[in-house]
Amino acid sequence: MTEIALKSVQKKFGADVYAVENLDLIIAKGEFLTLLGPSGCGKTTTLRMIAGLETLTSGEIHFNDKRIDQLAPGQRNVAMVFQNYALYPHLNVRGNLEYPLKKRGVPRDQRQTMVAATAKMLQIEELLDRRPRQLSGGQQQRVALGRAMIRDPAVFLFDEPLSNLDAQLRATMRAELVRLHLRLGKTMVYVTHDQLEAMTMSTRIAVMYKGRLQQIDTPAAIYSRPANRFVAGFVGTPTMNFVEGVFSDGASGLEFRSTLLPTIPVPGLSGAKAGMAADVGFRSEHVVLGQGAAQAEVSVIEALGHETLVLLTAGADEIAVRTRPDIALRVGEKVRFDAAIDQLHFFAKTDGNRIGG
Amino acid sequence: MKSLPMRLAGLAATGFTWLLVLAVTFPLLWMLGTAFKRPTELFAKPPTFFPHAPTLQNFVDVLEQTKFTIYATNSLIVATVTTLFVLVVATLGAHAMVSFKLMGRHVVARALLLCYMLPTTAVLIPIYLMIAGLGLANSLSGLIVAYTSLTLPFALWLMRAFFAGIPPEIEAAALIDGASRLRAFVDVVLPQALPGIVTTGVFSFLICWNEYLYSLVMINDDRTRTLPTGIMGTLVNGYAIEWGMVMAAATMMSVPLLLVFLFLQRYVVQGFGAGAVKG
Repeated sequence: MTEIALKSVQKKFGADVYAVENLDLIIAKGEFLTLLGPSGCGKTTTLRMIAGLETLTSGEIHFNDKRIDQLAPGQRNVAMVFQNYALYPHLNVRGNLEYPLKKRGVPRDQRQTMVAATAKMLQIEELLDRRPRQLSGGQQQRVALGRAMIRDPAVFLFDEPLSNLDAQLRATMRAELVRLHLRLGKTMVYVTHDQLEAMTMSTRIAVMYKGRLQQIDTPAAIYSRPANRFVAGFVGTPTMNFVEGVFSDGASGLEFRSTLLPTIPVPGLSGAKAGMAADVGFRSEHVVLGQGAAQAEVSVIEALGHETLVLLTAGADEIAVRTRPDIALRVGEKVRFDAAIDQLHFFAKTDGNRIGG
Repeated sequence: MKSLPMRLAGLAATGFTWLLVLAVTFPLLWMLGTAFKRPTELFAKPPTFFPHAPTLQNFVDVLEQTKFTIYATNSLIVATVTTLFVLVVATLGAHAMVSFKLMGRHVVARALLLCYMLPTTAVLIPIYLMIAGLGLANSLSGLIVAYTSLTLPFALWLMRAFFAGIPPEIEAAALIDGASRLRAFVDVVLPQALPGIVTTGVFSFLICWNEYLYSLVMINDDRTRTLPTGIMGTLVNGYAIEWGMVMAAATMMSVPLLLVFLFLQRYVVQGFGAGAVKG
């Protein structure tokens, strides 16, 4: 099993555009790590540097104790699955599966056994003589997976492999990838902008933004204790609600005041002090309707069946609320709401970092 | 069942298309017909389309009275070597222009188009002087150098479009699968580019095969002339034009090309890169 260590890795395009800036990251043996972020955040560049498809401007990458960033892609023993699958169009499925084995000098009879075993495992045996263009998207995806698995690589790299599939197939493939990870136990690095994929499949998630690592932690911790405002806003659907305000000294210690919400007492919130501007964040499932001092107008109601999403507006602020499906509300109605006091997150206005524990 | 006006419109379109085909093929058919006519029938009034008494005499005369075989060999050498040379340079060059983020690659691409747009006559004399400076004037190798300069910008421009249609991921996949840079290019990029290479090769060969002006200016030894200048010089002069022989020579020049074209047509129209990427 392979541990991947990125040490002060940087990638510059042109003179001063940082695609990846000073990235330190340790991916544990057998881990399923997801690099999550919006497009242009540097996640794909990071993956391509691990694969050897991009050179590093500075820094080092190690597999276990061996430095590999100077090696050619083929010498790193990694396999990669691409967003568009990148199957070789002029070869049939068998030829595609065999290609990495041929390049490694595996003898013919052994190749045939390995192709048969891989095809059986992925249930693509009847497709072996077809060309990629004769396959459906899901079948192409399986062949791409097969080509990655067949030579038993040390590390699997995935570059948004599910984004070209329809929603139903994507859910199936997510489960299949998780099973694959459990069965093979290999180190896997997965790039996506889809937080659902990141949350459901990963051992840990590394959130990236503008070339910098924002937070690396388990999916649950990323969701419940986001390290900064960007992570808080990026992970979770609907997006976390934010209300601007300022800390000030009250009768019983430090409090957070905003125009929309009632004063929130925050005595002992470390890192906060009077006069400091901040955002308070809270998730849509932690808002209770019909109680509390804050008031807003119902602007959108989305009934999803098992729950209902309600969007409230109050001046410039918008508050998303998840609620039971049987709630009786009308658009335009004024409604009172309250945010659960133990589920609040504070982020400094200056750098966006989380305040307190 | 389609309505009557619809069917009439369809018929009219078909008729018009055939008219166009006829207009384009008429000179070709006229050439073929004339090549087989006897001298007496050439200027018959009213003119005949099909030869009344077909003869191969014109072909025999061309082969016996002119250096047709020498010209043809020269043309074949020049066109083939130039085409091979151009294909190697253009294939690698176009791939580099598409795949590597080289500084100024867009400028180079535009400069190429500009080169291609320059009229041949404008660069003829400078190129001739340079080739003469290399000591290659009046030789086939000189002609090959000149034709390469003539064909390469066009070939690069054409190939660039073909290579741009090849998804870069398949080359990356081959690299990760253990292929070297060159191996990946040969194994997975070249097969995708094959229709483009064939198309470019055919066009480049055609340009060299038919080229007249450079050959006229650069070659003044009859043994190194190519077909267009050789035939024109021999059969078309101030006193007479041997129409029968000119047409016979033209037939022998163009029929092999037409056959090659027909044979390679499926490559030229073949969809490239289909199925590599899910769109």
